[in-house]
Amino acid sequence: MNAVLAGLAILVIGDSHMVTRDYLITTLHNDLMEQGATVYTYGMCGANAGDWVYPTTVSCGRAVRLDKGETMIDRRPSIPTWTVDALINEHHPNLIVIEMGDTMAGYGQAAFPQGWIYQQVHALTGRIAAKNIPCVWVGPPWGSEGSTYHKTFARVKEMSEFLATAVAPCKFIDSTQFSKPGDWPTIDGQHLTSSGYRAWGQDITAQLDQIAPQLVHRP
Amino acid sequence: MPRSLARMIGALALMALANTAVAADGRLYPSGPPNGVAYLRFVNLTSADVTVVSPAAKITIPSDDAHRAGEFDPVTPGVALTGSIQFGEATKPIDVTLQQNEFVTVAITGTADALQVTLLRETPTDFNALKTSLALFNLDQGCAKAQLLAGDQHLVVVSNVAPGSIGRRMVNPVDIGLAVSCGDAAQTVPVKLGGLVAGERYSVFVVGSGSTPQVMGQRDEQAPFRP
Repeated sequence: MNAVLAGLAILVIGDSHMVTRDYLITTLHNDLMEQGATVYTYGMCGANAGDWVYPTTVSCGRAVRLDKGETMIDRRPSIPTWTVDALINEHHPNLIVIEMGDTMAGYGQAAFPQGWIYQQVHALTGRIAAKNIPCVWVGPPWGSEGSTYHKTFARVKEMSEFLATAVAPCKFIDSTQFSKPGDWPTIDGQHLTSSGYRAWGQDITAQLDQIAPQLVHRP
Repeated sequence: MPRSLARMIGALALMALANTAVAADGRLYPSGPPNGVAYLRFVNLTSADVTVVSPAAKITIPSDDAHRAGEFDPVTPGVALTGSIQFGEATKPIDVTLQQNEFVTVAITGTADALQVTLLRETPTDFNALKTSLALFNLDQGCAKAQLLAGDQHLVVVSNVAPGSIGRRMVNPVDIGLAVSCGDAAQTVPVKLGGLVAGERYSVFVVGSGSTPQVMGQRDEQAPFRP
C-alpha cells in the first residue's frame, strides 16, 4: 500500500462507467480503498457535468457505494440527480475524482460541441473550486468504433485533448494514455469488459498516487 | 430579463418542433448533444431601455452597464427564431436561424429615430480554462479598423476589426489595462473589465462615432440548459 492516498476522504463521481457492478464503482473504488482511502462513489448513467450542478433527472439509472458498503443500483426510468454541492456537504471530501467524457463528446455529431462541453465542465469545476477542494478529472477510454454509440477514436482523442485544457483547476488524467485504441475490448462500443475496468481502475489509482501529493495538503 | 427572452424564443421553437424533437427527461429544451446546441444573446447598446418581443414573451432590456447584455442562452439550432425589437416607435424584426455550435449576439444600437440591429455570428473554438478569451465587437460604422490594446505600450491584442464583425484572441489571465482605438494609437478609450480571470470570456463592444468611440465591456455568461 502506498501511503499517498491513505487517510483521504475521496468522493468519486461519474457516468455510466460507474453504474454497474464490476465497472469503476467496483474496481476503482476497491483500488482506492486498498490504498487506505475512505471512498464514496456515485454514478449517474447518461449524466453530463451540468447534471451534477443543476438538479434534474437521469433516465438509465444511478448507483452509489459508500466506503465498505454494498453497491446500490437504482434502475428506475426517472431518478432525481445528486448534486455535487450536496455530496460535498455530506462527505466533506479532501479529494474529488470526476470520471466523465463519453456523455458530452457529441459522438455521431459532425461538429465537436466545444462551447456546450465547456459550459458543462466549467459549471461543475466552478462549484468544486468554490469549496476549495482539489479535484482530478478522468477522461474517457478509447472504447470501440462502429457501435450504436457512434464512438470513434478520433473523437475520443479530440475530447481528451479538449478536456486537458478545460477542466482546470482540476488536474486531468488522460485515459487514452493507458492503452492503445482497441486494446481494451468493449461490450457495446462504450462500456468495457471486466478486465478493462480492472485495468482502468488500476491505472487511474496509479495516476492519483502521483498527482495527489501536489493537490492534497494534509494538516 | 433578456436571458429569459432567448429562452422563450427557444421554447417557441421547441413547440414548433414538438413532433420531431423531444426533450430528455426533466429538460425544457432539446438542446445539447445529441440534439445539437447553439447560443443566443441580446445586448442593448443604446442609451435607453429597449423592448424585445417574441411570440411567447415581451421583455425590456435596460441600458445600464450591469444589465445591458444578457447571457448566451442555449437554443435549438436549425430553427427560425422570430420576434421584434422596439425602441420608442421604431421596430426592427428578429428572424435568425442559428447553426450548430454557433454563438450569436444580437446587438441593438442607435436611437429611436435610427434604430439598428446587428447580428454578430461566430463559432468559437478557444474555450480554455487556463486562458482568457477577449472578443472585440465593432458596432461603430465610423471605426474602420477597431483595435484592442493592452498596457501602457499599447500592445495590439486584437487588430483590424471591421464594423459589424468580431475579433477574438486568447490571452494569459493577467491584470493589465485594456483600451480600444480606431487605428490611431494616440486616441484610445479605456476598457473597464477588471482583472482577467482564467477560464472566463469577455466581450468589448465599440459603438458611437469613429472619432469618439464609446466602449462597453463585460464578462460573458453562458446559461445552463435549465429553465
